[in-house]
Parts: sequence; C-alpha cells; structure tokens
Amino acid sequence: MIYRTRENSSQSVADAVPHIADSVRAFAVARGDYYARVMIRIQSHAGFVATFNWGAAVFGPVWAAARGLWGLFSCFAVLELMALVQLSRGLFSDLGAVPRARADRLGENYERMLARVQAARDQGDETGADALARNAERLQAALEKALDQAQEAAAAGVELVIFGLFAFVLIKGIEGISANIAYEKHYSRWRADKRVRAGFQWTGAAVGAVFVAAVYSIALYGFTVAEPVAFIHTFPADKTHYQMLAAAIDRVFDQTATDFGVFFDGIARGIRFLLDGLEVVFVQTPWPVVMVVITIFAWRLAGPRVAIFTVAALAYIALLGFWEKAMETVSLLGAASFLCVAIGIPLGIWFARSERVYAVARPVLDLMQTLPSFVYLIPIIAFFGTGKPPGILASMVFGLPPIIRLTTLGLREVPKDVTEASRAFGATRWQTLTGVEMPLALPSIMTGINQTILMCLSLVVIAALIDAKGLGYDILAALQYAAKGQGILAGFAILFCAVVIDRLVQGGIKQKKGPR
Amino acid sequence: MSDIPIKLEGVWKIFGTRAEEAMAAVRSEGLSKNEVLARFGAVIGIADVSFDVHWGEIFCIMGLSGSGKSTLIRHINRLIEPTAGRVEVLGRDVTRLSEPELRAMRSQKIGMVFQHMALLPHRSVRDNVAYPLEIRGAPKGRRWEISQHVLSLVGLDGFEDRFPDEISGGMQQRVGLARALASDPDVLLMDEPFSALDPLIRRQLQDQFKALSEQLHKTTLFITHDLDEAIRLGTRIAIMKDGRIVQIGTPVDIVTNPADDYVRDFVRNISRLKLVFAHAIMEPLTSDSAEKFAQSPRVSQDSDLDHLVDVAITTPHPLVITNAEGKDIGVVSKDRLLRGIQGGK
Amino acid sequence: MPANRTQGATGNAPSIDLTPSITEFVGARAAFYVGRFKLLLAGQNRWRVNWAALIFGPLWAAARGIWAFFWLFAILELVAWVQVGRGIWGDLGADKLAEAARLQAKSDQLMAEAARGDTNAELLVESAGNLARAAENARAASEAGEASTTTYLLVGLLLLGLFKLMEGLWADRVYERQYTRWRVDKRVPSGFNLYRLAGGCALLLLVFSLTLYRFTVSQPDQRIVSVPVPSTYHTHTANLIEDYLDRTARAGAGLFNSIAGGTEAVLNAIEAVFVETSWPVIVIFFLLAAWRLAGGRVAIFTGAALAYMGILGLWEKSMLTLALVSSAAVFCVLMGIPLGVWCARSSRVYAVVRPVLDMMQTMPAFVYLIPIIAFFGTGKVPGILATIAFSMPPVIRLTALGLAQVPKDVVEAARAFGATQWQLMTGVELPLAAPTIMTGVNQTILMCLSMVVIASLIGARGLGQEVLVALQFVAKGQGILAGLAILCCAMVLDRIVQGRFRRGDGA
Repeated sequence: MIYRTRENSSQSVADAVPHIADSVRAFAVARGDYYARVMIRIQSHAGFVATFNWGAAVFGPVWAAARGLWGLFSCFAVLELMALVQLSRGLFSDLGAVPRARADRLGENYERMLARVQAARDQGDETGADALARNAERLQAALEKALDQAQEAAAAGVELVIFGLFAFVLIKGIEGISANIAYEKHYSRWRADKRVRAGFQWTGAAVGAVFVAAVYSIALYGFTVAEPVAFIHTFPADKTHYQMLAAAIDRVFDQTATDFGVFFDGIARGIRFLLDGLEVVFVQTPWPVVMVVITIFAWRLAGPRVAIFTVAALAYIALLGFWEKAMETVSLLGAASFLCVAIGIPLGIWFARSERVYAVARPVLDLMQTLPSFVYLIPIIAFFGTGKPPGILASMVFGLPPIIRLTTLGLREVPKDVTEASRAFGATRWQTLTGVEMPLALPSIMTGINQTILMCLSLVVIAALIDAKGLGYDILAALQYAAKGQGILAGFAILFCAVVIDRLVQGGIKQKKGPR
Repeated sequence: MSDIPIKLEGVWKIFGTRAEEAMAAVRSEGLSKNEVLARFGAVIGIADVSFDVHWGEIFCIMGLSGSGKSTLIRHINRLIEPTAGRVEVLGRDVTRLSEPELRAMRSQKIGMVFQHMALLPHRSVRDNVAYPLEIRGAPKGRRWEISQHVLSLVGLDGFEDRFPDEISGGMQQRVGLARALASDPDVLLMDEPFSALDPLIRRQLQDQFKALSEQLHKTTLFITHDLDEAIRLGTRIAIMKDGRIVQIGTPVDIVTNPADDYVRDFVRNISRLKLVFAHAIMEPLTSDSAEKFAQSPRVSQDSDLDHLVDVAITTPHPLVITNAEGKDIGVVSKDRLLRGIQGGK
Repeated sequence: MPANRTQGATGNAPSIDLTPSITEFVGARAAFYVGRFKLLLAGQNRWRVNWAALIFGPLWAAARGIWAFFWLFAILELVAWVQVGRGIWGDLGADKLAEAARLQAKSDQLMAEAARGDTNAELLVESAGNLARAAENARAASEAGEASTTTYLLVGLLLLGLFKLMEGLWADRVYERQYTRWRVDKRVPSGFNLYRLAGGCALLLLVFSLTLYRFTVSQPDQRIVSVPVPSTYHTHTANLIEDYLDRTARAGAGLFNSIAGGTEAVLNAIEAVFVETSWPVIVIFFLLAAWRLAGGRVAIFTGAALAYMGILGLWEKSMLTLALVSSAAVFCVLMGIPLGVWCARSSRVYAVVRPVLDMMQTMPAFVYLIPIIAFFGTGKVPGILATIAFSMPPVIRLTALGLAQVPKDVVEAARAFGATQWQLMTGVELPLAAPTIMTGVNQTILMCLSMVVIASLIGARGLGQEVLVALQFVAKGQGILAGLAILCCAMVLDRIVQGRFRRGDGA
C-alpha cells in the first residue's frame, strides 16, 4: 500500500528522526540535543510521557520566560509565589505577634484589675471587691487563652514552613515534569507559525528574572512583615488631586450650564412639548379607548395570539393600578424612541455614505454603548437638571447607537450591483436612496428600531433615579425599602410593557417584510 | 476480505418526517416522486440504487445537481442513513455497524474528499492531513511522518507548515486528497473533488489523481457532474437521474451505446476521437473484395479515431483495418469515419 | 421607416385594459374608481375630490380596508371634534362661574352679618367688599371663558374642514396605491366590505364618544379618567407575593444560603487577590498580561488607566469593581458556554431557552434586582448574582450561534474520518466557533460592567457606589471621575480579552 508503516513502523520512525531532530535543534538552539531527544520521545508516544527537565525545575518561571512560554511563566510565578509566601511567613514573620500583643494588653488590664480589687478590699467594700474579682477571673481566663494562642501561632510557624517547603518542592517537581510537554506544544506551534518565539532568549530571561524578583520581593514583604510600610498596601494617592479635579469638573459644568442656559432650556422645552403631546394621547385619553386601540393594533400587526396576550398584559397593568404610571412610561419611551429614530436614521445614512465620518463616529458609538448608563445621567443632570426631559435625553444617548449602527449596516449591505443598476438607469442619488437602498435596508433598519426601543425602555426605567417618574419609580422605591411584593408587581408591569411593545414592533417588521 | 469492496443493494433514501410511511407506500403502490411529495411531504433522494464496485477501480457516478449523487456517496460511510436497502463496504453491512465500529471503519478503511475541501482552517496543512490519525490516537511523531509522506505523494513537499488559507485552491484540494490517503484506507470517496477548481488546475489534478490511483490501487467512488471528467478518470461510469441509476458501463459503452435519450443528450458533445476505436465503426471485409483495397493503408483495429484521421489525411483511399495477427478484417471509408466522429446518427 | 424606428419598443406597446382587474378590486362603485384610477395611472395628477371619502372619512377607509388612512384621520378628526365639542357643550366658564357664585354668597353673608350690627362691622364690610371683587373677577374670567368657546368652535370647525378636504383629495391616490399592492399580494384587503364598515363604526363610536366626553365635559366621570380599581388589589397582591417570597426564602434557606455562601467564598477569594495584594504586584501583572496578550499599545493604555485609578485615589474601589466584574464574568463564562453548547446540540432545549434569553435581554436591568433581593437580601452577593443573571445571555446566545455557524462540510469531514462527538467538539467546532464565542465573552464583560452601578443599588461596593452617591448629591465631578474609572476598567478588560483572542487567531 502507500507506505509500510503498519508492517514495520519502527524503521520509518527511524527514517524520520534526523529530520525532526534537526528541526528541534534549530528551534531550541541552546541544549538542542537534549530537546531533540526528549521531543522525539514525546512525539513517538500517544498520551502522557514522563520526562524531567532540570533546567525548568531549578529556574522555574525564568526558564519559561527565556524559552518564550509566557503562559507557563505566569502559572509558575503565581504558584511559586503562593508557596514562598507560606514558607517565608513561617520563617520570618512573627506569627504570634498579634495574639501576644493582645496577651500583653490583657495582662496589664489584669494587673490593674487586681490592684482595684485590692483597693476595694482595703476600703472594706466586700461586695464591690467580689464583683471586681469575678471580672479579674474572666480577664485571667482570656489572658491564658491569648497566651495559648500566641504559643500556638508561634508553633504554627513550623507547620507553615513545612507546608511551604513541601508545596515549593511539589511545584518545582510539576515544573520539571510539565516543562518538556509544554515546550513540545510550543515547538509544534512554531513549526506552523514562525512568528512564535524559538530558542533561548536572554532578553526573555532577563525580563522574567526582573519580574520575578520584583513581584516576589514586594509580595513577600507585604505578606510577611507584620506591619509593612503603608506605601506597599495602599496606593500613595494624594486626596487633593481628586478633590481639585472634581471641583474643576464641577466648575466647568456649572459654567457651561449658565453660559448655554438658553440653549439647554430650549432643548428641554422642545422635548417637553413632544412629551406633553404624547401624554395627552396616552395618559389623558380615556383608558378604554387606549386599551381598545392597542389591542386592535396588536391583533392587526401580530395576530390573535399576541392580541390575547396584550389584553392580559393590559388587564394586569390596569387591575393592579399601574395604568397611569405605565402610560407615563410609554409616553417617555415614545418620545425617546421617536427622537432616536428621527435623529438616528439620517445620521446612519450619512455614516453609510462617508467612510471618513464613520471612522470617527464608530468609536463614539462604541463608547456610548460601553459606558454604564448611569454615567450619562451625570452630565445630563448637570446641564438639564432633573425631571422628564433629562430622562429622555439620557435614554437617547443609550438608544441612538443601535439605530445608527443598523441603518449604516443595512445600507452598506445593499448589493453593489443593485445600486449600480439603479445609477445605470439614470437615477439621482435621492431616487437611488429612496427607491433602492432604503427598501433593501429596511429589515436591518427595523431591527435597529426594535433594539432602540428596548434600549430606551431599559433606560427610561433607570431615569426614575433622576425623577423621571413612571414605572421605574416604583421599582426604585421597592429597592430602597426592600418592598419585594411591590417591586415584583412593578417589575412584571415593565416586563409586560416591554414584551407588548417588542411584539408589536416585530409584528410590524414582519408585515413590512411579508409581501415583499 | 470480500471480493467486492463496495456493494449497494436496493438502496432508498427518502427525506422527510414521514419517510417510513412514504417508503412503505412506494413499495406497495409504486408512487412517483411527485406523488410522494404531495402525499407525504417527503422527497425521494435515492431510489432503488444497486451496484458493485470492484477492487482497484475508479467508479464514477455522474449526474446533474439534484440527481442524488452526493446523497448516494454519503451512504457509503453512513453520513446519511438509508431508508431501505443494504450498503456493504469491505464485506460488512455498514447500516448494521455500532457507533464505535462505524467510527473505526471511517477512520481506518474509508477516506473521503469533499467538494469544498472542508479543511480545518485553524490547523496547519500537516495537522489537517494528520487529522484522521489523530482521531485514531496515533502518537505525534507517527502522525508527522505519515503526513509528510502523503503530502509528498500529492506533490506538496515543503507546504506542511502552512495554513490552508495561505495556499491556492488546487493545493488545498491536494491537501484534502492527502488527508483522505493519510489513514491508508481501502476505499476512497470523492465528492466532486475538482469541480470547484479552475479548468486548467482541474485537468492537472485529474491527471495527478489518475496516476496516483494507478500507483496506489485504491478502490475509488468518484462523484462528478462533468462527463468529460468521468470519461477521463472512470473505469466504469454510472449515470444518475432523479435519484435513479440510468446506466452503468465503461466510458466506451456509455458513449457508443447510450441507454436512453437523457444519456444520449449528454454524450452528444463528448469528443469521440480518443474513445472510439476502429473496430467499432468498420465495415466487415468480405473475403472477395480484398484486392480492391490493395492501395489502402493498413491500420490496427485498436487504433482510435484520432489515429484514423491522421492516416486518412495522407491517402485518398479508404482505410483497411487489421486484427492482432495482421489479417485484414474490415474497412473504414471517409464517410464512415466522419459519421463515426460525429456519433451514431 | 426611420420615424417609426425612433418610437422604439415602447412606442408600439399595446395599451392594456385594467378595467376587469380594477373592478374586481373595487367591488362597489367600480365604474367610478375605474375612471379615477385610469386617470391617475395615465399620469394626470390633478387633484379630484372623492365625495364619499370626504363625507364619511374614516368610515369610508374602514369599509375599503385602508386602515392606515382610517387611524390617521380618525385621530385627526377626533382632535378637531374635541375642539368643536368644547365650543358647543363645554362649560368652559363653569368652574369660574361656580367660584364667583360661591364668593358672592360669602360676601352677601358677611354683609348680612355686618348689617346685624356686629362689633367689627367695619372689618366685615371690608372683607365682603374684597370677596365681592373676587367674585366679580371670577365672573369676568368665566365670561372670557364663555367668549373663548366661540374661538374653540371656530378653530375646531376649521380643522375639521381642513381634514375633510384632505380626506377627499387624498382618498383616490391612497386607494390606487392599495390597488397596486393588491395586485402583487392578494391578502391586501379589497372591495367594499360591510363587516369592516361595522367594525369601523363601532371603533369610531367608542373612541369618539369616550374621548369627546373626557375632554369636553368639565368634570368627567372619574371612572373614565382613571381605571376604577380599588388600591387594595395592589396591596393585597403585593402582600401575597411578599408572604410567598418570605416563605419560600425561609423554606429554601439552605439552598439560598449555600448559593450565597459559595458565591461569597469565590468572591472573597478574588477580592482578596485584587485588594490585598500590594498594588505594584497587580500593576506589574496587568502590564505584563496586556503586553504579552495584546501588545505594546494596549500595555501603555493599561498603564495609563491604572495610573488614573491610583492617582485619583480610586484604587481600592476600582479593584473591588474589577473583582466583582471578573468573578461575575468567570461565572457567566463557566455556565454560559456549556449552556450554549447544549443549546446548539439540541434544538428542543434551544426552543425553550431562547424565549427566556429574549425576555432577559428585553427586561430593564433594574428588574433583575427584585427577585434577587427577595431571596438573597442585599449586599455584594446578591449584587453579583444580579450581574450574572443580567450578563449571561450574550455568551449563551453567541456560543450557540458560533457552533451553528461552523461550516457543515467541515463537520461532515470530521465525522467522515471517524471523529467522536467529543473530538468533533473540541477539535473542530469549538476552535472554529471561538471568534464568535469570544465576542460573546466580550459582550458579557461589558454588560457586567454596566451592571456595576445598578448592583450598587443593592449594596455592592466599588466604583458603582461612587457613581450612585454622586448622582444622589448631583456631585458632577465626583461622578464623572468615577464613571471614567469604570470606563477604564471596561476598556482594559475588553482590550486584553480581545487582544488575547486576536493573537490566538493569528498564532
């Protein structure tokens, strides 16, 4: 057949050996022959092969660093450090120091108490002296216990030394055994990828040694000395830096808020106007009307099952007295998502058009979504105060990225040949955008709208923290007073709002996609 | 070992949740493909396929896309379970094998090459080739040495430490072939291995594969949608249509005696110059007309049409065909030669 | 000949007769719409009034099945009608009038007392005078209100006329568009349907009557304004749930305590590593990890971020936060990846898990806290549990996705060479799905960080607490500094994990 491995495999292994041996020598550089021998042994057996690398065992992490095995280096360093800390605590640190100090203190107290007992006796106050004597007895018992502990702790030093020593030797053993196996893996990687570090590197060894020395000494110092210099434990920070910086930021914000007060007020007023309109629709319109209309929409957009669910959800909200708060939340949400969509889609189109703008905008979008939502609230309160409009603004910061991103994505994913065809027939840019690109990007944009709405919802709830009212307020109150029942009821109300809105929007998306 | 490495008997494959019912109905009522689809929502992939593959041959299965050929080849190593029928590989019924037995069979006896290479992108060429050995638990040194050897067989010396995305498509498929050969299987399954490649590279690989299979004597089941390829490589060819085998035969059989219009349609555009031989188109020579062709050049009966054309150009006379002993046995006039090239009309 | 040529292919196109198709679509009054549609299709864009649509408005739309038109104009007309209603029935001056009457009565009474010759008649007379003046003012305001009714009426009528005109002019075009859609999709409603008309009528009746009543009557029935539900429903249910939770918490105290204990042990260990270890060691470890795993630039960034935390005195809090985030992330990954693998293996499991994941991602992060405090109380352990619950979905989802995206042919190849399930998963599927899984891990880390502040609402310590306090006292500077520190933590973890993966991909 193609080769004779099955019949006489030993022969062919022998054939192949010089080749691998050469390559291992080229890889290992220092001690090439040793590694060639070891690796051929490892490679010719499936499963675990026991070899012992004395270099690795003795030098541990430094060996790993010199050979470029940084993962192994970290493992070895941490393990050794743990063993060394135990060892040196046993050897150098005064383990009995703390209990002994206590014993000393107790001893002094005991003496003093005895003196007071004596004084009381002298004054003939027998009952008082008895009470004091009982106290003194108690103190004596405590003192004895403390002394015992001190002795025990001092004795534990020996145990720690033994344990540390044992662990250290064990770790060294593990290092020696695992080194060649890990190095062989490294070699295989190097065969396929020559960027992998090969050979023995003095720089690696030096970095490793410096690192080990620094970390070991600091850690050992920190853990073994009973009262190390504070510098080691706490970062030597100067509180004034912090205060100065915080004050400076405060000033900048205050200044900006007063300087551009008109501007910020204008924005807040605009949002307030929109919100008022929505509140008339949702909150002030008689509830049966809102309920019926929402149910019909659910039925038309998403089918009878969703409609039934919607009825149940609305009934839950109404029966438990959440109706007004829920509608308030929905109004906030409506205003926030409307603004997000109105701002986000044009921005998305712009970013899809211009590579340069997108390159700038992308990190900003990433940042907006990475930053914990609470952090937005801070500048927003600074400029807009508390209340509903700032809540909406904060939700917008959180809700804008998905719609922008997915609009851009959708437009970029429109097949080039289709837009080309449209241009070839003489369509203007506007015609191409409205007639070709937007319809094709629609599924993606709709997904973006859905995500935006959900993002806004999650923030509208958080915005209760800055007094935006709605259902979030109930949750917040429940959290503050640990009112679990109320909190869970309000939580379900929010959940139902979210699910109903999500289903409605998704039903709308499906209908948009359906006929096409 | 058994005489016949691959043997299929009455294999059916019906896709769908109600495959069993559909199978029973097909058996008892003889439903057509469309009826099965309408009644059971099930699709017939393979319908009653039987054939034997002999030792050392390249058995080509040719069909258009959707004819069920890729489904069929996956029955050999039971990547797809047949709905009914028997699949015997190396004398064992693979449909009856237990899970470990099946895995052993796959990793030791059957190699497979895929249309889109299906290499593991995160492993080097060497580790890709050694994958079947690794699955079997072979030690690394052995894996390396075998993969080295197989890679040199397919002409990829020195590429073992590359990654699949660093080499060309043709090379990738050679890696695929090397991987299939690495476990030294008795049976090779090749699922349209060359169809994703450029024509020029495809031709190269076909030649290389042919030479290799002559050297190694593997039994090969070769799937293709390209009749030219089937004719170049195949010892025998089976033509599939709608899950059924329409015709099985040697390339010459297929080209000269198409079983039906479907096959005829395929064969029409195949160049016959190298496939058809003098004896197939000659007119038998009657003993009395011998002197009539005294001027004619003599050509052996085993010459192909290509050679006949070469000879015919040099002479105005018809060609006389001789048998192995040099005796005149037939004659080919220019008209007959042209008709022969054109194909049976 | 050449003249004919220039007409080309389109010039000779035979005209098509759309009459039968339009008739089929329109149903009632077909002849009228056939004419209108043909004009529109011929490109004659003159606006023509559809009187039926103008008069019946939303009802016309309902009967014809144009629901978008129906809702739009139902709402618009409602706005107009509310104005009209206020103008006609609305007792706009009623409040003021009542007040005036009350004030007048009071004033009269005082006058009467003064007339009886009381001691401080002077004072009474003066008060009565004041009251009378106030009554006079109120009466004037009421009259002004009465006067503005005409304005309301006028504006309302104007709006109504405007909307009606829009309805009449727009109807044909909208209907024609519906016809075009119907041609490609026969599910689009067609014809004149009495059921739809009845539905539309019922809707309009309900919406118009209630809304008009609500906005025009000065003191509408409270049952309309707010849902007539006694607040006892809420308190009862809340108490019930509370009792139930308390009972469950008591009954399952062993379980909850052991979960909390286990989590706390792990968390304490990790916290000890981060907080107790002297800071230079941590800094060196972070720098080395960043440098080896993600390269020099990330190492420099890491150094800067750590310096920021240290110099501003946020070191310990940052370490607490990092400990919380990394232990939450470790839990998420340890539980999420196996779950994701399970989901990818079994479509039935995924069918169950998916809606749960969807729900978890739909739900605002706040809400997670409540059941958790119910069972685990407040403190850092519930904080970390909430963080885990919130952050696990991405890693599950993306593990399942990554495994589903592994090319089928590669999996098939591995199986064809006899790989076992385990070999297939560890050797082929997980490595190929690694990029996607790492994206999931990354998202999980970021979500953990975003939970940091929320978790501090229930007592988790660290930077989140700092932000929360800043928020409560509007301490902008403090809040922003702490927020930036959170951001630093997020970016350091993110870059190191991503770098690790990118390197792993290359090597």
